[in-house]
Amino acid sequence: MVRLALPVPLPRSFDYLAPVDISAADIGRLARVPFGKGEKIGVILALPELAAVDPAKLKPLGPILREVPALPADWLAMVQFAARYYHHPLGEAVAVALPPGLRGAELMDDRSADPWLILTDAGRDAIAQAGRASRLRAVAEHLAQGEAQRSALVAQFGSPALREARQRGWVTEAHTRREADLSAAPTLNDEQHSAVEAVWAQAGRFSPFLLHGITGSGKTEVYLRLIERALAAGQQALLLVPEIGLTPQLEARVAARFPRAKRVALHSGATDGARCRGFLAALDGSADIIIGTRLSVFSPLPRLGLILIDEEHDASYKQQDGLRYSARDLAVWRAQQAAVPVVLGSATPSLETWQAAQNGRYRLLRLERRAAAAAPPVVRLVDTRRIKLKDGLSPPLENAIAARLERGEQSLVFLNRRGYAPVLACPACNWVSDCDHCSAHRVFHLSERILRCHHCGTEAPVPRACPQCGNQDLHGFGRGTQRVEEYLAARFPQARILRADRDSIKTPAHWAALRHAIEAGEANILVGTQMLAKGHDFPKLTLVGVIGADASLFAADYRAPERLFQQLMQVGGRAGRAGLAGEVFIQTEFPEHPLFDALRRQDFDGFANSQLEERAQAHFPPCGAQAVLRAEAPEVAQALEFLSHARAAADPFADAVRLYDAVPMRLVRRARLERAQLVIEADTRGALQNLLAQWVPLLHTLKAPRTVRWHVDVDPIDI
Amino acid sequence: MRNALVLDGVIAECGVLRRTPAGMPALEFRVEHVSRQIEAGIERQVRCEISALALGDAALSAQARRPGDSVMLTGFLAARSARHSGLVMHVNTIEILEGTENGFQTEEKR
Repeated sequence: MVRLALPVPLPRSFDYLAPVDISAADIGRLARVPFGKGEKIGVILALPELAAVDPAKLKPLGPILREVPALPADWLAMVQFAARYYHHPLGEAVAVALPPGLRGAELMDDRSADPWLILTDAGRDAIAQAGRASRLRAVAEHLAQGEAQRSALVAQFGSPALREARQRGWVTEAHTRREADLSAAPTLNDEQHSAVEAVWAQAGRFSPFLLHGITGSGKTEVYLRLIERALAAGQQALLLVPEIGLTPQLEARVAARFPRAKRVALHSGATDGARCRGFLAALDGSADIIIGTRLSVFSPLPRLGLILIDEEHDASYKQQDGLRYSARDLAVWRAQQAAVPVVLGSATPSLETWQAAQNGRYRLLRLERRAAAAAPPVVRLVDTRRIKLKDGLSPPLENAIAARLERGEQSLVFLNRRGYAPVLACPACNWVSDCDHCSAHRVFHLSERILRCHHCGTEAPVPRACPQCGNQDLHGFGRGTQRVEEYLAARFPQARILRADRDSIKTPAHWAALRHAIEAGEANILVGTQMLAKGHDFPKLTLVGVIGADASLFAADYRAPERLFQQLMQVGGRAGRAGLAGEVFIQTEFPEHPLFDALRRQDFDGFANSQLEERAQAHFPPCGAQAVLRAEAPEVAQALEFLSHARAAADPFADAVRLYDAVPMRLVRRARLERAQLVIEADTRGALQNLLAQWVPLLHTLKAPRTVRWHVDVDPIDI
Repeated sequence: MRNALVLDGVIAECGVLRRTPAGMPALEFRVEHVSRQIEAGIERQVRCEISALALGDAALSAQARRPGDSVMLTGFLAARSARHSGLVMHVNTIEILEGTENGFQTEEKR
């Protein structure tokens, strides 16, 4: 028999009749199989003696795709763990972990790569023997003098000669020279130096570290030095970055440091072909450095020696559909399996990681000195209870912007709400721009004159008149980045203003151009959302104004304060680098709030510890474990009914867990479906996993209308 | 239901031309009205000031007027908003009244 994982939404593997030529070497290979009326590609998991079903009913296996190397056992183990832990069908987990379109060897030819080539022993033997001068021989003789890049050889000798040399096995890619180019590297300060030494002292062992470094303290340089150590030891390094963190800047910095190493960048924006090539280069061990977003945690890495997770608190590490995995948590599991050090870096660690560092599960490494600027920014709170705001801006903030303009420095106005106004409304009859498909308003975007739902994405032109009463004089209520931009343009006509949000930046190329403009000092005032909050150095930026932060202060989600604090610390960290002192103005109606007090003192430790105390009292994660079962249906009653059946099914196993009531979600209706959820809590992950292991299989057998869809989210980040 | 208003007056305050979300020009202004009217058989003096709102072409022609200009407005009345019950005259046409200094003279010419 052959047992496979197939990409179907059923929590089981599938058995087929084995062909005669199959062997244990085929475990981990892809194979085509007949499935229903069609065909699917699956991964061979095992060759069991006994089938789980009557052998007479088994179908024969289709062709095994032997041109793709077999996936190693540790990779299969990781995907099986992910499927088990997140209670997701194994075949679908495999489908998530594999790059799309991983089929054939033709993908392995990468025309865009320009590898360094060296002469093989066969090549050396060939030129040692007498022979006629030829272009082929000239290639080999050239390489006998030293390695060369493919592009240079093609230019000098032509590609046919080079192809011939490679086909004869005279030439191969140079993966032996991985040393770093330290010519432009900054000198490490003693904190950075001891962090590097502390981590590398644990090489070859599972050892997790929290690298807690304030903005500008030089975390990236620590990563680079650690990668250098791993490569020198002949190992592969995996660097995970947030969705928005995989910038050309970072790639260029790694490329400049490790010019000869084989680098692979993996992210969801890469083409299928590029992802496949990167995956295969990781799999065959030729890739030295893998930089990527969450999906790259699934790269097979036979020589893995080090895992680095930058901005480990970032929400983009958690997949929000299908296999709802946390790349950060899987990376730590993986480091444990592979017995390698793992470094979680952040200026504002997640409470999960912070707790682990406090109780000694992770070792805490601190970088407290700002490498670039002299002092941390001064945080000022603007009490807006008695000040009249103009389009959201207080006079103190306006004055501070004006002062920056005079001095030729940059200001950033931070508002986490894009569009012109969050809602369009009719003052005459109280009509509001509700989304037809969601329980949310459509946001008014002035530049395109459209109403767009930020939840389901549907758009409609701005109506000429109120659909309810015919009044044409509709108004946008509240403010988004476009409105603030408009106001600032009128208030400071001499200033150049750039807006950065997901509407103004749709592609990485936009982003790169915008960042370039900011760095070149082409903007005086920036208006932006959290896009601008993360890890970018803008040397002339000395003022950050935060407006509209209060909304997150009293949000229902218990993680809201943690996120707000992280965001404000990060955006505040933009102010004052490169030797100019920075100021942060936060407009709030609650200046006495402890969160702002901690922020004013830049006291992450104090804030994190007080949050941990609150979580401990409430048994919320990380002082407890959570999972949520969500159901969606055309009507919320159907979703609630399914959840109440599910809740009843859990009762017999629910000793060590707390089952909450099934309730409609805060945003009940989304994209024409109504949603409800059931939260499950336990004191430990083990107790939670115990329940889920017994309960989730039962959910598949519950009778429910076909229109009800459900999923389990383990360690959810939104409740 | 009838809701028609013809009002002569002098433009008092003139707002800045803005656009509705759909891009339609809109202008808010105030009109001072002074006239003599017959009430229960006796002539009396009338004074009032009213907010006006013009959209589209009417907004553009209102924008061409200056405070002090005498105009004849036609339109209808509506509440300022669902929350504020004060009345606003929605102006459909604006005609300039020539050679007039105030409402009394206009009245006399008729």
